Amino acid sequence: MKTSGFRIFFMTGAWMVLAFLLLPILVVIPVSLTDTSYIGLPKESLSLQHYVAYFQDPRWLSATWTSIWIGLVVAVCATALGTAFAIGCWFLSNRASTIARWILITPILVPPVVQSLGFYRFWVTLGLIDTHVGVILAHTLLALPYVSISVFAALANLDPRIPQAARSLGASVWQTVRSVVLPAAMPGMVTGGIFAFIVSFDEIVGVLFITVRNVSTLPKKIWEGIQENIDPTIASVATMLVLLTLVATAVVIWRGREGAK
Amino acid sequence: MTDPILTISRATKRYGPVHALDRVDLTVEEGEFLTLLGPSGSGKTTLLSAIAGFAPLSEGRIDLRGRDITSEPPEHRDFGMVFQGYALFPTMTVRDNIAFPLKVRKRPASEIKKRVEYCLGLVQMEDFADRMPSQMSGGQQQRIALARALSFEPQVLLLDEPLSALDKKLRADLQWELKSLHDSLGVTFIYVTHDQDEALSMSDRVVILKDGRIQQQGVPDALYNHPRNRFVADFLGKSNFMDLPVRGREGDALTCAVGDTQFPVEAPGAEVRGDVLNLALRPERIRLGAPGEEMLDGTIRQVSYLGERCLVMVDHDVIGPLLISQATWKEGVTPRAGLPVSFGWDSDACVVMEAEPA
Repeated sequence: MKTSGFRIFFMTGAWMVLAFLLLPILVVIPVSLTDTSYIGLPKESLSLQHYVAYFQDPRWLSATWTSIWIGLVVAVCATALGTAFAIGCWFLSNRASTIARWILITPILVPPVVQSLGFYRFWVTLGLIDTHVGVILAHTLLALPYVSISVFAALANLDPRIPQAARSLGASVWQTVRSVVLPAAMPGMVTGGIFAFIVSFDEIVGVLFITVRNVSTLPKKIWEGIQENIDPTIASVATMLVLLTLVATAVVIWRGREGAK
Repeated sequence: MTDPILTISRATKRYGPVHALDRVDLTVEEGEFLTLLGPSGSGKTTLLSAIAGFAPLSEGRIDLRGRDITSEPPEHRDFGMVFQGYALFPTMTVRDNIAFPLKVRKRPASEIKKRVEYCLGLVQMEDFADRMPSQMSGGQQQRIALARALSFEPQVLLLDEPLSALDKKLRADLQWELKSLHDSLGVTFIYVTHDQDEALSMSDRVVILKDGRIQQQGVPDALYNHPRNRFVADFLGKSNFMDLPVRGREGDALTCAVGDTQFPVEAPGAEVRGDVLNLALRPERIRLGAPGEEMLDGTIRQVSYLGERCLVMVDHDVIGPLLISQATWKEGVTPRAGLPVSFGWDSDACVVMEAEPA
């Protein structure tokens, strides 16, 4: 291939964009291994003290646990509601259902701050401020579009004549949904559920608006860690999350390859 | 004669201003192989969907053995259905697909097992019981869909263009199989197709639809030999159409004229209005001969060889181009373009067309 100036220009640009994307993530790794007691690069030696600190601090552990169980509850609720919505729209597949689909994805389109302000106003009225239920409800709303979109994608491959066949063979609407439509929607439900968990696990703007002291999730704890004391434990938590993500991504890709074989 | 199994009266289906079905009356006899034939948009699929219960009628009613099922949901109608896209359940094995209607009906496990084996045998697919639908060819999938639709001994089997996704040879094989399955089981079949060969080869009775209305119904050879109007004559096979003046009439025997040549037309029961007749003439009913041998003279414009027969386009001064279909094994004139020939037909070859309703 010819190495023109054009090509060098674009290659350099591409690598720089890649570095810009990756470096801020990678920089937390040396910071997490620092031997100092403030956020900075290691001075004299590498140390795991901030990892130890994370596992010994009940506040960090409790925030992590809170994020995990809220995420799981959100995943279940959002998957149930989003799947029901997607299946309903798929059966109708008319104008009204198309409009409903657009309305449901507004949480993705509306700026998080605006959405959170709305949550705040409403949750005050409903008495849900600083409760786990309030966070679960807000996160379920935010995660719904991801579930319904992935279930819609899964159902797009389902021949509309298949449920008709089930009906003509004697299955009621409910039996048809259970035995034919749900199995077809399953891959989308799994993907949507994982997405819902991630959306909830990762969400901070809403949590900052609608919680005070009672509820503390991991992102909120990291945020407070930066605000109040410049504790390198944050970097160790961040590093663990990055590694966890890498492992999870690798597993997904590996499974995809196995499945393709 | 026993009572009809299905009676459809004044069935009308409107989509906005469009009439997909327009006051259709139809009775289906127990055990018959009835085909709904028509081009796309003729309403044949809508009629089948209405019978199956998927497209509620705007007006009219449907009775199953005297019981009104117009507003009954599909699962209570007890009709098996076979679809163009097979519509097998992709997440179930062949065995589970065929067992599905029986499980839904809560039949005992031992009976289900026996019945599934029997149905697999019906379609000669015993070795495929544990396959998934995605591991089979289109023809195999359609056999399984057929076995599934028959497994619960339905009152009527509805087939929606079941063969149109298959290639030509397989289609022909499955036509024979469908027909023999119908004859051996005695189940009523209602078959929808746009393919006239399928309709003619399998059916006891064919119903031809156009624009949501029944154009004509009858046994295949009656429809082919005595089409009522231009649409039927053109849709079922090929026809030449001629507008010719009537010169005389004695009972059912008419005399028509092409220029100075007069010829007889047997038209039993035909309504003759005015003094010009619209006649349909099948290409295979026209005889080709050497010049002067037959009634009219013309010149061959074009020849198309099709194996067992060849199509000859003959120009005539008055009637214009005329399509003639001649068996290639026949002795006599060997048609080639530019050759002067003569042609003629028997008195019962022409069929008088009804005037098209305005």
